[in-house]
Amino acid sequence: MSRAKELQKSLFGGTTSNARQFGMIFTLVAIVLLFQILTDGLTLSPVNLISLVSQYSYILILAIGMLMVIVAGHIDLSVGSVAAFVGIVVANIMQDYSIPWFLAVLIGLVVGAVIGAWQGFWVAYVGVPAFIVTLAGMMLFRGGNQYIGNADTIPVPEGFRTIGAGFLPEVGPNTGYNNLTLVLGLVICVAVVVREWRGRRTRHQMQAEVAPMWISVIRVAIPLVVVVFATLQFAGGRIGTSFPVSGIILGVLVVIYGFVTRNTAGGRHIYAVGGNARAAELSGVKLKRVNFLVMMNMSVLAALAGMIFVARSAASGPQDGIGWELDAIAAVFVGGAAVSGGLGTISGSIVGGLVMAVLNNGLQLMGVGSDRVQIIKGVVLLLAVALDAYNKKQGRFSVIDSLMRPFRRDAAPSSASPVETGQEHGKSPVAG
Amino acid sequence: MRNILVRGVAAGAIALLSLAACSSEREGGDSTATSGSTEAAKGFPANSLIGVALPAKTSENWVLAGDLFTNGLKEAGFQADVQYAGSSTTVADQQAQISAMVTKGAKVIVIGATDAAQLSTQVEAAKQAGATVIAYDRLIKNTQGVDYYVAYDNFKVGELQGQALLDGMAKKKPSGPYTVELFSGSSDDNNSAVFFDGAMSVLKPKIDSGDVVVGSGQTDIKQTATDGWKAENAQRRMDSLLTSTYNGDKTLDGVLSPNDTLARAIITSVKGAGKPLPIVTGQDSEVESVKSIVAGEQYSTINKDTRNLVKQTIQMVKDLQAGKTPEVNDTKSYNNGVKVVPSFLLPPMIVTKDNVVEAYANDPNLAPLTK
Repeated sequence: MSRAKELQKSLFGGTTSNARQFGMIFTLVAIVLLFQILTDGLTLSPVNLISLVSQYSYILILAIGMLMVIVAGHIDLSVGSVAAFVGIVVANIMQDYSIPWFLAVLIGLVVGAVIGAWQGFWVAYVGVPAFIVTLAGMMLFRGGNQYIGNADTIPVPEGFRTIGAGFLPEVGPNTGYNNLTLVLGLVICVAVVVREWRGRRTRHQMQAEVAPMWISVIRVAIPLVVVVFATLQFAGGRIGTSFPVSGIILGVLVVIYGFVTRNTAGGRHIYAVGGNARAAELSGVKLKRVNFLVMMNMSVLAALAGMIFVARSAASGPQDGIGWELDAIAAVFVGGAAVSGGLGTISGSIVGGLVMAVLNNGLQLMGVGSDRVQIIKGVVLLLAVALDAYNKKQGRFSVIDSLMRPFRRDAAPSSASPVETGQEHGKSPVAG
Repeated sequence: MRNILVRGVAAGAIALLSLAACSSEREGGDSTATSGSTEAAKGFPANSLIGVALPAKTSENWVLAGDLFTNGLKEAGFQADVQYAGSSTTVADQQAQISAMVTKGAKVIVIGATDAAQLSTQVEAAKQAGATVIAYDRLIKNTQGVDYYVAYDNFKVGELQGQALLDGMAKKKPSGPYTVELFSGSSDDNNSAVFFDGAMSVLKPKIDSGDVVVGSGQTDIKQTATDGWKAENAQRRMDSLLTSTYNGDKTLDGVLSPNDTLARAIITSVKGAGKPLPIVTGQDSEVESVKSIVAGEQYSTINKDTRNLVKQTIQMVKDLQAGKTPEVNDTKSYNNGVKVVPSFLLPPMIVTKDNVVEAYANDPNLAPLTK
């Protein structure tokens, strides 16, 4: 096996979906570098990275929930309206009853859960298609937002704004950087190293083939460089700014949901239901409960996203949430999920969302008007999914392979089989 | 196995060392923070970037303003970055655009707010980055970060409307009492109350003296409001007023309308009921209303020339560039919730059939209509 082949497989796994995911990461890096050059280094400047995270964290939070909904074979069009509804309810409650802001956040999440239970009930137990239920929800809760808010803009108190506009505070000695952000970066670095080390140990114990040491070093070194660079940028922003609180919320959710969808029975059931609902049911998956929970979970995350946006905007307004569902759905599909359900990962959706976010941000930094930005985003979405469709027809595709081909004239033409699941690192083939 | 851990940490350490060399923005940020005020007084380079964030392109006025800003700022030697919010996610778009302007180091950011209460985070970030923020046409609320406000004097608009209503009715009918109906704008727009209060400051004494009678008795702003500034809502209210109050031969002498769109809806309603047209006021110099004034239907409108407003804003930018304090003419009326914003208010101009030709002589779109 050639070294390039080995590298590809060990770094990204062997399946098409993983190659696709790598393709997206590659695209993200390419877009970042492109805009970094085009904007004279503004793209990766601390100010811009910080505002990028706080601008798009709520869309990425929605993408997490949307990924699970789409994997289960549904869609949710109501997220924007639900977010706006929860936002206005919370803003109103805080204005009228002056309750502490964390209690208001809790109430908001409960409202989200109730709305989610309502939608999940219709989808799972009555059997109305999610498209219809959430289309109805889109109107219902948009109307609810206007009814409660009187089409007015209601400001929220300072404390509440932390979840959307807050940063890690400045503590400890003056190091020229935000100390808590440095600590956060260090924790992530350690996590990356420990994860790789444990992976190797597990494979050893299982007596499976262990990737050569140089591959492990690359697998650790690349993320470390990225994390260290990002940490220094985020920690080196203007005094009073650092890594946004909303970004931390997003990070925690990504880790939790990533684990749940990858490593728990409940999470795998979602993929089973989306892949083949009938087969899943016959194998003992509680179809109705999975559908109910997936829809309910989406509305809770929408509630959270809505509150983060309200906190960032310092007020809840009648325009909140319009078009968010489309941004979230676009992120999920750009990130490699299949329209038919059963395929896609949380990390893929996050990368997909980041591609759209960096694109938007970079074009804005270049002063491109919002009309043209929308056109470009539309084209990117179409191309990303078209690429997926094309690859499926072709059987398999590998970005690395196509990149490496010119350099491997001596090697025999690639003949690897499309399914090499045995080589994957503890991942099941369904997840990709 | 230990080996990999050691190597990984070593790689991280090397990366950390190499990157620690790149300077953080903190040192720079510190110096600007401390010398921020003096620096503002010193001005900034003449070719600096000036950001202009406007709402979605939904009305002619904003498109015109955007073009005027682009050309005017370029002529003055600045780099102009004029952005409109997208049509679907307007507020989020505008927030992102303002952040991008801050990142690019704009020295002055002019904002025509989509939602005046949802921009405080971005405006404060702009302020901290050392930019001056000018609220254009709409006052940005609940933030310390906004430095100046430039707009037409809306209270004066109301006064002019009230006066025009009285003048018009007096011209038609030498002596009172006059019967009128009152309309005001959408309740979620804080300008609505300003227009209405301005008009009432003129009308109230006459109503108290019995010279002017509000036929339906509806004088509270909640009763007179027109939801969403929508023509259909004004027309519906006028229809029901005509049925409830002006059946038979009871006549209606005048209607206070806050803008042109509503004025035309009111006129349509009165025409539909087959009543003689009352004196109807307006505002905005919309094409259809200018035609209507020339034809003798709508009585008056207000000319708030976008050119003058943009010109005044660019003048403020030039003053800031030169290190001068921009001229303001009102330092107590415009409270945004946390501070009183120094404002420059331009005087609006009333337009009736008598002065319509002079009023629009310089306007390439409207001048031909008055010939």
